[in-house]
Amino acid sequence: MAERVVVTGIGIISALGRGKNAHIGPMRRSQGGIHAITHLRSVHAPEFVLGEINMSNDDLAKLIGLPTGDNGYTRTTLLSLAAMSELLNDVDISLLREEPFAFINANTVGGMSKMEDIYMDVLAPGTRPENIKYIDTLDCAESTENVRRHYGLKPLMATISTACSSSSNSLMLGARMIKSGMVKRAVCGGSDALSRFTLNGFYSLKNVDKKPCKPFDQNRGGLNIGEAAGFCLLESEPAAIARGAKIIAVLTGYANTNDAYHPTAPSPNGDGAYLTMKQALEMASLQPGDIGYINAHGTATINNDLAEGRAIQKLFGTQPPPFSSTKPFTGHTLAAAGIIEAIFSMWAMEQQMVIPNLNFETQMEELDISPAPSLIENVLINHVLSNSFGFGGSNVSLVFSKP
Amino acid sequence: MTQPLYIISACTISPQHTYDEEHFLDPAMTADDGQLYVIDPDYTRYISPVAIRRMSRMLKRGITAGMKCLEDAGVTTPDAIIIGTARGSVTDMENFMKDMIKMEEQALNPTSFIQSTYNSVNGWIAMMTKCTAYNQTYVHRGFSLELSLLDAQLLLSEPGDKKYLLTGGFDELTSEYFIIREKIDYYKKDIPPSPELLAHYDTPGTIAGEGAHFFTVSNDPGKAVCAIHNIAMLQQPSAKELLDATADVLSQNRLKIEDIDILVCGMNGDSRNRFLIDPLIANCAASTTIVSFKQLSGEYDTASGFGLWLTNYICKHNYVPPA
Amino acid sequence: MEDLKTTLKQQIIDSLNLQGMKPEEIDDNAPLFGEGLGLDSIDSLELMVLLERNYGIKIEDAREGRKILTSVQTMSEYIQQHRKI
Repeated sequence: MAERVVVTGIGIISALGRGKNAHIGPMRRSQGGIHAITHLRSVHAPEFVLGEINMSNDDLAKLIGLPTGDNGYTRTTLLSLAAMSELLNDVDISLLREEPFAFINANTVGGMSKMEDIYMDVLAPGTRPENIKYIDTLDCAESTENVRRHYGLKPLMATISTACSSSSNSLMLGARMIKSGMVKRAVCGGSDALSRFTLNGFYSLKNVDKKPCKPFDQNRGGLNIGEAAGFCLLESEPAAIARGAKIIAVLTGYANTNDAYHPTAPSPNGDGAYLTMKQALEMASLQPGDIGYINAHGTATINNDLAEGRAIQKLFGTQPPPFSSTKPFTGHTLAAAGIIEAIFSMWAMEQQMVIPNLNFETQMEELDISPAPSLIENVLINHVLSNSFGFGGSNVSLVFSKP
Repeated sequence: MTQPLYIISACTISPQHTYDEEHFLDPAMTADDGQLYVIDPDYTRYISPVAIRRMSRMLKRGITAGMKCLEDAGVTTPDAIIIGTARGSVTDMENFMKDMIKMEEQALNPTSFIQSTYNSVNGWIAMMTKCTAYNQTYVHRGFSLELSLLDAQLLLSEPGDKKYLLTGGFDELTSEYFIIREKIDYYKKDIPPSPELLAHYDTPGTIAGEGAHFFTVSNDPGKAVCAIHNIAMLQQPSAKELLDATADVLSQNRLKIEDIDILVCGMNGDSRNRFLIDPLIANCAASTTIVSFKQLSGEYDTASGFGLWLTNYICKHNYVPPA
Repeated sequence: MEDLKTTLKQQIIDSLNLQGMKPEEIDDNAPLFGEGLGLDSIDSLELMVLLERNYGIKIEDAREGRKILTSVQTMSEYIQQHRKI
């Protein structure tokens, strides 16, 4: 049953906007989406820049055709629905209603963006009636359930939470389910909305840069948090061909390993990242030299970029393929990072371009390699590697190839 | 998918004496306030003083149950760690959120934030066993444990030399969690003593519990007494869909409902799900023993872990304890 | 200064939950990280929270913070010079 798994649909919303053109244009023009906070109500709002999506919850509700105001939908669910509606521009929903499929979502804090605002009221006697409907929205599966319900679907469902590698794991699980014959197709992805909980959590780790982040730079100061949602439709290649679907890319390799080193920091010599990338390449039967572009995890934290940089250098040598982190465009979108960066990787391959690593100035003293600081066009890319490394040592690498 | 999952070892920390199996139901632990909290074992057995000082209950509990499960199986480093939890470490999440509100987002402790990530137990067990292999966390409510088992089946059916996988599920109860869920009628309005839960099947609501349940599974039967053959997850089924799915799962194993000796059933005393439970039980043969367990464990998303542990216990001892 | 050091040692014990430890057992000049007490990077962040909550000292850069947190002695000296409460 070892058919190839292909990508035949994409839906995405991030700080850059919705859909392909909203992303590729700014990437070509080196215009990042990190900006001052407009929607998130935090005392730190004047201090930080984030990858915030320029739509209020009401804007998102109107987009999806839901009532505005206190509608019982958290921002996380609204973003997931927005990304799903984008995907359904490419894919006829009847395909998902008529045949069994898997729906694999990912999240790190569920509906926290709403709950943190109403928690004390929810806890106290005499909770306001308008808050009662949000009580069961804190967990990670609430957006999965809401998307399913909104579109009237009955898939095999799963929600994954492995910190920053979550939605890369969604893609990997979807592919494995298809290869085993469990399902013919899978909608895979993830979402995370900005919340004070997450912003303050990362701030307490002193991992956050108050200016736009500088991945792989000697003077990097940490990450910028972002929010996003993305889904891909994965299918077995024969199923895609049978229905005449346009194949965007082939998911030829994937690997999930664990650093087994520390709760939040990767092993500094990059052993974990190295192992994951190597396994993904082996699965795809590729050599390091076959990779045309690496979309790095590149959070711009001291630890990640050191570990990942060392791992890239160890695996690919001192003349690696061009690599970049796209987090200066979108921020670190946590559970959504894996899926949106996989999407960027596929678009880079399709457009034969290397997306620039914005804000890069100075090579890290520990490394002999640097990311691509500006756009490179007309690059031959047949295979692309996308990395996502998270807390708890969770590492996932994906390899996509030209169809 | 037909790869049976042989249960090599099972470890449960629960409101009952399950960690030390010899004293299970000796005595049966009860609660009158609808909140069954776990009996804490000695967490220092597996966790060093340096590590334990910062850990919340849920983290200690998950790590200890997982490590004991591996020890009981004679496995030092598993070939994968796959865990499910619907709510993660609720205490850590509550602490960080309330601190953030109280301190107006200033001077916040990172420890609670780090430990509130849903895969923190996974990460710790990986560190302690030096397991760099496949590591996954499922967070889909009542399917969380089942997804971890399904993934284990999938993994063992893929090419490779994986043999012993650590799977499990855990969820935590806190007094705040209870207060909040009461407001959406999750629990009984008139709370019965826990042993009497199922005598109150005519009213809505259930009682609360918590637990951590780990299973070392393998494709090699070894000395296993119990294997999982099929896992089916149904989304808001009708009674007919449940009966059909049950019949389907049994027929895949060339069995009929009359062949079933024991039905371990997660009935929780909530009248709103009787439309599912009653036909299921009525469909069983007169000779089938119906075993309930939520009067012992309480209700929570991964409570089926208690049911699975109990199933393994019954197979091991060839005996259904009265409860 | 001696009172500050004793108070600080107790605050370190409480903040890091070093159960069973007494202030007298922490040497003023013993390294807090690596050998000595063997604290780790998360502990260093917790100590920075301690400095902010108890002394009003806000450290933004984790690497800068580690230098201040070398020992009880270095911490006390820094507190004396920079405390706001």
